[in-house]
Amino acid sequence: MSDREPPPWLEDFQRRFGEVLRAPLDRSTGTLRAVTDGYDPSTVSEVRDAARASATERLAVYNRQYWFRLLDVMNASYALTSRLLSAWRFNEHAAAFLHARPPTTWDIDRAPDGFDDFIAAVNDLPPWVADAARLDATWRRLLHAPAVKPYRPTAEDAPRLLSSRLVPSPASAVFEERWRLFESKLSLQRGGYDAAIDAPTAMEPPRWWALLREPGGVRHFALARGEGELLRLMASLPVGEALAVMEEGCSDEEREALPERARRWLAQSVERGMWSGLEADQRSTQV
Amino acid sequence: MVFAVSEASIARDALGVGLRAPHVAYVIERSPAVDYFEVISENFMGPAFAPAARLDAVRAKYPVVIHGVGLNLLGHAPLDERYLDDLCRLADRVDAPFVTDHLCWTGAHGASHHDLLPLPYTPDLVELAAERAAYVQRRVGRPFGVENLSSYVSFHRSTMTEWDFYAAVVREAGCWFMLDVNNVYVSSRNHGFDPSAYLDAIDFSRVLQVHIAGHSKEIDGTIVDTHDHAVDDAVWALYADAWRRGGPFPTLLEWDAKIPTMPELLREVAKAREVRA
Repeated sequence: MSDREPPPWLEDFQRRFGEVLRAPLDRSTGTLRAVTDGYDPSTVSEVRDAARASATERLAVYNRQYWFRLLDVMNASYALTSRLLSAWRFNEHAAAFLHARPPTTWDIDRAPDGFDDFIAAVNDLPPWVADAARLDATWRRLLHAPAVKPYRPTAEDAPRLLSSRLVPSPASAVFEERWRLFESKLSLQRGGYDAAIDAPTAMEPPRWWALLREPGGVRHFALARGEGELLRLMASLPVGEALAVMEEGCSDEEREALPERARRWLAQSVERGMWSGLEADQRSTQV
Repeated sequence: MVFAVSEASIARDALGVGLRAPHVAYVIERSPAVDYFEVISENFMGPAFAPAARLDAVRAKYPVVIHGVGLNLLGHAPLDERYLDDLCRLADRVDAPFVTDHLCWTGAHGASHHDLLPLPYTPDLVELAAERAAYVQRRVGRPFGVENLSSYVSFHRSTMTEWDFYAAVVREAGCWFMLDVNNVYVSSRNHGFDPSAYLDAIDFSRVLQVHIAGHSKEIDGTIVDTHDHAVDDAVWALYADAWRRGGPFPTLLEWDAKIPTMPELLREVAKAREVRA
């Protein structure tokens, strides 16, 4: 590693310049405008005026670039949410998120991480916004997932299956569609940001989807309601416990059909590559 | 240790294009006639499966050089060793003939600003930049080039010109120039200096690659390095000047917004041959 200490002025210079970059843009005029009056005077005084622009105007180039670059990434990452809310309204929440949680890694694609939780906690938004953001976040997670070998059961796994937990593949997800959003997401993925999409309406009952990242993109499969519920339970509980929870909520008729259905759903999920392993239930080994 | 440029994979007069997402499928399927591609390091440094698989498919057909925007060479904090681990893995994966990044800072105090940010040019900063650039070159185990910025501000604290600063860093580090002639032009217009004075400071025997790109003009006259246009005639003239002084060198076209088709990009970069004839 390089051992040389930076010049003593560098840290303070970068702190003050960083504050100018992150200064919030003003929305009151209907455009995003740099508020140069708010720049730290000591930072401004360090910058030379140019022939055709003042020091503050030149600093504003960086201030705008900071926000526009990150808002572009936020809009691309949460394309469905942005499209449904309108870019202007979306940007208000995206900017608040970025202000509260400035990017910390070199990977700009990580800057939007956690925005789905952030916007879900915002009051006074339409009820489908949280689900739209959750669907966008699920899609992002799949696209960023590393390659993993899918779990293929062996004969030794059979006796421990019920007491073990299936590990969800990072390249798979189960999504409960409570608002009609899925077709819109697919439409945006196919046609880009300008694709026509419908305003979301409530889905009653909800639909369930399995999503799998494959070399060509994200593939989706419609799931039966019970199938979706079971796969979601199995992602967090040992298989036997997940089945017991399912059974509890079943009618007599459903309970009778459950073992055969569960076997089929489980086999299909394994075949699709939704799991990456089988592990002992950690809770039983904790003291 | 001397890190020399091998001409086995990229000829000294090669023409390349910055590979961007909209063109990856086209490149893999159609194998367009271009000497090499440059990829943005950070787009391929994560564990994501799809980008890595596509990069391998491109690399099977073309030499690939890597160009970073997140090294943060001049951040006040020490270099990020985990970033460098990932960078080394990527360079090894594509057997990159060389690696480049910018002579700038991109973040501080735990925040990443995702921009290529300017600094005052001072002798004490030359020492830091040179030591770090030399370290990065040793770490990646291949020629490392530092790129000059386009900038919109200059500082009273500077006691050196940008070109003297740049040349001193390359000389003291024993690394290479990744000379962006569009950036020279953009900064010359924004700060009112003569771009040929900039070229006077460049030791062309140490130029690893030259970038060309388009730029935009703001209402107040500021020239912004947007990479969303064809190369401006004035930049082509500066490129021709650089070629006369120190060609041949590998030349690469960057185009990052309002990206045209790959055939259009190839026509644009091919203009380099006419300009330098």
